[in-house]
Amino acid sequence: MGMKGGFQKRSKASEEIPSSSLADIAFLLLIFFMVTTVFPRDRERPINWAEAAAAQKIDEKTKNILNLWIQKDGQIFINDQRYAMEEVSQVIAPLYAQSERALVISIRGDRDTPYILMDQLQKELVAAGVVRVVFATALEQRMQRERR
Amino acid sequence: MAVLNKKKSKVSGEVPMSSTADIAFLLLIFFLVTTVFPKDKGLAIVLPEQSEEVAVSQKNILHLIIQSSGIVEVKRGESQQIQTMRPQEIEGLWRQEVAANPNLIAAVKTHPDAPYKFMVDVLDALHSANAERISLQILEG
Repeated sequence: MGMKGGFQKRSKASEEIPSSSLADIAFLLLIFFMVTTVFPRDRERPINWAEAAAAQKIDEKTKNILNLWIQKDGQIFINDQRYAMEEVSQVIAPLYAQSERALVISIRGDRDTPYILMDQLQKELVAAGVVRVVFATALEQRMQRERR
Repeated sequence: MAVLNKKKSKVSGEVPMSSTADIAFLLLIFFLVTTVFPKDKGLAIVLPEQSEEVAVSQKNILHLIIQSSGIVEVKRGESQQIQTMRPQEIEGLWRQEVAANPNLIAAVKTHPDAPYKFMVDVLDALHSANAERISLQILEG
């Protein structure tokens, strides 16, 4: 018969590493990092933003911006924690010292907050030594403004 | 002739998969580079230092008194004359006034019960008119 013996039998496995699954690995990595990335941000509070047409982007690094929320009923939140008005300066002063006086306070006030609370808040900030303050607002469109 | 029929195309029928990884990385890098996180917007102001109290001549002050209804009363320095206007009209007013007196300071006095938005409206108008010397106060008495 035409048998040639067992020596010619070769392994059928390819010598190359299969590269077709490289794309899957890349996508897996991409999805893994997308899912696990958490931005250190405090939770949004339910406020109605005041609007201003001259609002400008806060020109400071994100880590140097401290959000201070003040709701219509006068509740104050810093870093997801509620504070009384009198505590604000004590809370902010150490943070301000830590940031080497680079801290910018972004006051996120509800548009209907009575001004007396904003005034008290400003006095607290001044007592903590903070001078750079931003009244965070939504951007008002000029068109919208002219219609009023 | 039978020989010609045996010739087959050497092009593979499959789409080459080896470059998919490169495409994935290109997409990844593209989105990494083009992603911009939205920055907060607002009206910046520098508060005075605690001990800082500067005496200013009355003639350099433009009083903007915001009542709780949102109406703004404008009072020039020493004069007792009061002019009422809407917050939006202050931009034009400030441009006129500051052209006449470059040392003018806007003293924004807000009624304790006035909603914060009216103060923002006035501050917005002043910022729009490029005012730099602004003082925020509360209306007393």
